[in-house]
Amino acid sequence: MKTIIAFTLSFLGILSLEAFAQHSHNGHEKEALNAGTVHADHSLYHLDSEFTDHRNEVVKLGDLQGEPVIVVLFYGNCTQVCPILIQDTWRLYSSLDESIQQKVNVLAVSFDTENDSPDVLKKYAEYEELDIPGWHFLTGKHTDIKMLATMLGVKYQQTSDGHFAHSNLVTVLDTEGKVAQRVEGLNQPLEKAARIIEEMLKNL
Amino acid sequence: MRSQTNISVFASMLIFVMTAFMPESVSSQAVKVSVPAGSFHSVLPEVKGEPILVDSFYMDEIAVTNEQYLEFVKANPEWRRSEIPPIFTNAGYLREWRSDLDPGYENLGEDRPVTRVSWYAANEYCSAQGGRLPTLNEWEYSAQLMNFNSEAEMNKFSAGLINWYSGIDVNNLQEVGSTQIETIHGVKDQFGLVMEWVEDFKPIIADELSLDCGTVGRMNTLGSVYSYAASIRYITRMSFNPKITTGMVGFRCAYDEPAPSSQTQNGESL
Repeated sequence: MKTIIAFTLSFLGILSLEAFAQHSHNGHEKEALNAGTVHADHSLYHLDSEFTDHRNEVVKLGDLQGEPVIVVLFYGNCTQVCPILIQDTWRLYSSLDESIQQKVNVLAVSFDTENDSPDVLKKYAEYEELDIPGWHFLTGKHTDIKMLATMLGVKYQQTSDGHFAHSNLVTVLDTEGKVAQRVEGLNQPLEKAARIIEEMLKNL
Repeated sequence: MRSQTNISVFASMLIFVMTAFMPESVSSQAVKVSVPAGSFHSVLPEVKGEPILVDSFYMDEIAVTNEQYLEFVKANPEWRRSEIPPIFTNAGYLREWRSDLDPGYENLGEDRPVTRVSWYAANEYCSAQGGRLPTLNEWEYSAQLMNFNSEAEMNKFSAGLINWYSGIDVNNLQEVGSTQIETIHGVKDQFGLVMEWVEDFKPIIADELSLDCGTVGRMNTLGSVYSYAASIRYITRMSFNPKITTGMVGFRCAYDEPAPSSQTQNGESL
């Protein structure tokens, strides 16, 4: 019996640490989730999966090697928070010089693999007036999107009403696919992220 | 005593039925079990009294073995021990294998579950089989679809689990299919062999939980024979991260559809 108690307690120990490490949530299921930690020293381009964009073109992360990438995860039926998240991404992109914009890729990846088909994403891109070169609204296999999200530290979970609880995170990847900058939250200052992108291109 | 007799009669019947339906040889071909839609009460905090609904799905009858995993790394060089990018695993990946393509069966056994694989590797393996990892709810729902003949049998099962969870012997894992623990649909070893990866191993609600004695107590008073095991699994999973590779964690895959080439049980072979 002792061993059982010891065992249970040791897990409780791990757990309470975790609980302390997390900021408290008030239990409202649509509240934004904190993003997880990531290792910035490894390239995401090892993920060899194929995604499909809103133009029905296949996109592999590795294809973007050599150019800075802005990644954001969202879903189309999210009408309150996600448009802000997408606009934040646009705000970052549009703050760059036009010559720099041409060398930057934007991946807006939907984790609602059930509803956000390439056609739906096409309409979404048009509605947001973001069906522009360099921007890819992506869908893919459920497993691949979950892997990508986990690598970025983006948490999401479908709730019983079909919506998603999710982290609000804009990530900048460097030319090798490593995480260069993360901006968590909505309506955050993005100047630093913009400078980092500019620096990357200067060093090429 | 009678319950034991029942078990052995049941077991021999099962073996007979299994033999009749098992595909001939091809041990590396996973048998997919059809798990019908249903609902269950989770140990997780939820809307009071609301059962969790689970759609029908298919799941591997047994955990992925060393032999099956070897086939995967043979076909996918980037997932071999010497090749796997560090973003997908910590340093312990397949640590006990003799080399990239030699598990060293005399020590590990070809029919024992593969362990020391990260969540990323498990995902990639299942993806390569046309499947995915089961969700936490799918896995837990399937696990509690067991049938006990008597309360005595149930208590014996429950007591056995407590023993097992309090001392998983990672150096002496049993072969897959050997626990004699099986759901009514034929999914084997969900208890008593290894812990298993699920897609959402750290559910988001976990962040909102303070797991103190009261919560564990509440989990245990759900009055189900599965409560203790489920709460321990839940607590254990929360300490995982997607790169860990421990000797007590293996996995099995789930599928939305039976693959055209696959064998399924319950008379659904294609």
